[in-house]
Amino acid sequence: MADRRRINGPVGATTPPIFDKPAKPAVAKTRDSIRKIFLKTGITPSASGSAYLELENPNPKRTGNTSLKLMHRSQRGKDAVTCETRAKGILAYTLETALRGAIIADRWPKSGVDIIVTVVEGDQDRDSPESQKDDEGWDMMNVLSGCITVASAAIADAGIDCVDTVAGGVAALVCKDNKTAPTIVMDPVVAEHGNILAACCVAYLPTRDEITNMWFKGQLPGADMIVYDKLMEKSLVACRCANRVIIQELNETVKKGQGIS
Amino acid sequence: MPLDTSTYNLALLRVDGRRWNELRQQGNTKIQCIITGPNERDASKNTSSSASTAPTAGGAGATLAVSIMIAPFATVDRKRRGRNDKRVQEMQTTIACGLAAAVQGQAYGPRSTIHIALNVLSQDGSLLAGLINAASLALVDAGVPMTDYLVACTAGSTSSYAAADEAADPLLDLNTQEEQELPFLTLATLGATDKVVAMVCESRVQLTRLEGMMATAADGCKAARDFLDGVVRDKGELMVQEGAIGRGEVVSSMDLD
Amino acid sequence: MSSTSQHLLLSPAELAYLHGSLSLTTPGPIRPDGRAPAQFRPLTAETGILPGTNGSARICFADGTEAVVGVKAEVEKTPVSPYEFVASTEGRKDHSTSIPQKKKGRKSKKPTEDEETTMDVDDEDDDEEEAGDGSAAVEKVRGSPDWVELSVEIPGLRDDDSGTVFLTSMLTEALLADGEFVKKLWINRRFHWKLYLDIILISPPLSYPLPLLSLTTHLALLATRLPRLKSEADEDPMFDDDWAAATFLYPRQDTSSGKASNKSKQSSAAAAAAAPASRPPITLLVMAVGDNIIFDPSKEELAVADSAVAVSVAEGPSSESEPESDSIPATTTKRNLHLLSVRTIDPPSRLTPPGVPNSVNASAWGTMTAATPTTTTTPASANEGGAAKHPDARVTETEDVVGVWKAPRGGAKFAMLGAMVAKVLERGGVAEEVLDGLEGVDLG
Repeated sequence: MADRRRINGPVGATTPPIFDKPAKPAVAKTRDSIRKIFLKTGITPSASGSAYLELENPNPKRTGNTSLKLMHRSQRGKDAVTCETRAKGILAYTLETALRGAIIADRWPKSGVDIIVTVVEGDQDRDSPESQKDDEGWDMMNVLSGCITVASAAIADAGIDCVDTVAGGVAALVCKDNKTAPTIVMDPVVAEHGNILAACCVAYLPTRDEITNMWFKGQLPGADMIVYDKLMEKSLVACRCANRVIIQELNETVKKGQGIS
Repeated sequence: MPLDTSTYNLALLRVDGRRWNELRQQGNTKIQCIITGPNERDASKNTSSSASTAPTAGGAGATLAVSIMIAPFATVDRKRRGRNDKRVQEMQTTIACGLAAAVQGQAYGPRSTIHIALNVLSQDGSLLAGLINAASLALVDAGVPMTDYLVACTAGSTSSYAAADEAADPLLDLNTQEEQELPFLTLATLGATDKVVAMVCESRVQLTRLEGMMATAADGCKAARDFLDGVVRDKGELMVQEGAIGRGEVVSSMDLD
Repeated sequence: MSSTSQHLLLSPAELAYLHGSLSLTTPGPIRPDGRAPAQFRPLTAETGILPGTNGSARICFADGTEAVVGVKAEVEKTPVSPYEFVASTEGRKDHSTSIPQKKKGRKSKKPTEDEETTMDVDDEDDDEEEAGDGSAAVEKVRGSPDWVELSVEIPGLRDDDSGTVFLTSMLTEALLADGEFVKKLWINRRFHWKLYLDIILISPPLSYPLPLLSLTTHLALLATRLPRLKSEADEDPMFDDDWAAATFLYPRQDTSSGKASNKSKQSSAAAAAAAPASRPPITLLVMAVGDNIIFDPSKEELAVADSAVAVSVAEGPSSESEPESDSIPATTTKRNLHLLSVRTIDPPSRLTPPGVPNSVNASAWGTMTAATPTTTTTPASANEGGAAKHPDARVTETEDVVGVWKAPRGGAKFAMLGAMVAKVLERGGVAEEVLDGLEGVDLG
């Protein structure tokens, strides 16, 4: 009698499913603006400050977003404000560098800030496991820039003294294929661009015109400082764009607060 | 590869071409030791670090903190050891306790710590013995007062336990391959005396063979002590030549023993 | 950041003095050890210290920091993903013909200039084919970042300490940035070398260890040798037992023409075809104080840095934009430096305690005492209250007072960062100087 309690596996060998290569999204336009950002502060009442950030998705079929959440609470610590970020090791470390430059630490002696950033979803292309292995590093830059922006908004929301808001921005040197000359795009979507040669993530203080953190990697054709400078400039433009969103959201929060009181 | 011990009679040569009682002049075990301190004891640090500590002079002297780091590339097959590896911890404790017997810790206060960091860069047998000798030499170089060198050596037996060979001969200073095949012990003595400070034997061996092995190891320790002493004296002479130390001062201290 | 900030015993006054002398512009910065701004600390280096490794190196800085790097290689099976399998069955037909051809080309040692001239194009059509259908890419020399494992060990720090993780990731990033390095580890379609790089800082970290670790890794990689391959094509790899015949991972220009020609032509030529005269990356630490750019800062100097940047560069194959440099055999005349990665380092100066200017210091007969002589509050709160009331206190809060240390706020100017990177890359600059120096080390 056949075993009806279990669902038996198929008899004989099976092959792992092989997925079709996903169709390359048709992107011909070079990007000289960043994706739309949704930013909201004060979403977690229990924390001193919090913010939520969502990026417009390039592919409307997918629901993937880069979403981040931040909470912080004051705590007794060492002589100055120390940021303790708990996220994936290297990201946290870089984020800490970016934020520490902005916070006026000596106004808050013997206290610390816990910054908790939760990346709900990164925008890597889940359809193609093939492309994931190499793209990891590039994707991290986008996540980092989002982290910087949202953390800065949350710090401002918490009322921690800062010299300026910090905004994150990414620019990359991409080439679609080898026929065309590489171009510089802002806020690159890894899945969209075939081949990323170099990328640069910057944390920027727009009012002071200063950079608190920079992460550049990749290979530039030759020792070309001009390309490097252009890449930097573009990422600064991306930062300014992101900063406008932060400022607008903070203004709205202030207005709302005035309306209530 | 099983070790062929058939040629291991007293007169014959060993795998690496030594005779039975020869120490390796240039063994492939490479250890580096760094002494820092004495420092003021840092209570918070002591609990968190993985170093093994031992007080000297019955708690009235400085504490010795030993930490061993075995490089992943030290062995033939790359192997990464965690800091809390139990074997490493045991060696740390053995060294700390052994050195505590030799170090005149009362010269420093009970609230001070001497950190001994041992880095194993290449490993080819007699690890514990090498560590002890390295630490001892480094302590002398650091100028920490000690009653005598703490020297160690391994000794083994030319046939395995299972062979039950009563006529097995003792063997000095084993390499990795020999350590894996043959019973062996590590013996640490205080200088050239027969005062045994530490003895570690982790393999099965007939009791009748033990004494011979210990005697061989003790002889090895004597040789090691002379060697270490020679190194220290050479260094001292070099320092005198370079004028780092005044001459009269040196002669008095060097003639002490 | 504990690796940089520990044991730093400088008072705010000392920090202010140091900052002042380092930011001098007219005679240039005055460094505590008397070095020129772009001068490195002297170092001693040796390679091949560990016979049990494929390559090893040790570097001692004059300040007593010391690092050892051991490189070990293992043969590992390359996992074939189902995607590649599909692709390879499609491309099987031309695969079988192209491999022997390639072999013949290497063995008969076609004129090297032929290889060199095709080199520049080679890179491009490699990518082209990959982009084309993926089938041709299978038998090409490939590489995966997984083939390299790098670990950093710093005494007194946990393995998962953020500083250690940061160092590891920065060194890995520099090594993998150009994608050329992993291609050297390719054996055949089924096997590759797995390279383990273990970096050990022997001494406690007296200064920020990144440059030291990077330079030691550079030397170890230069000294790394892999056994010579005896098997052909996609067979299970067989290697020559003779260590003397082992080939260098980074073939050297002078030896590839002379010494290597009789022994190890085949694989050195193969590696040379990938990137002639390329060198492992080096990472340099650059810091800015005021308008001055200072290289290889010591711990004390880093403690007053306005900003600090780690710049990774590698010497790559000569690009076609400078064709005349190809004909010049001497390597020292011109280097083709590639920028691989730039990262800002969190300068420990941000965590230093600020000084208190006399004008607001109650114990120094400052105006503070006059402003709040009868207050009953605690000194701390008086200070805070005073900051709001007293104009002097407000000024010291926001503005710099000469001679009073204040941890730097904000970041670095765009132009300053650019200048720091440019200074590393410039011809005859520091990176070249360091590479020249390292070239002098006997690789055994």
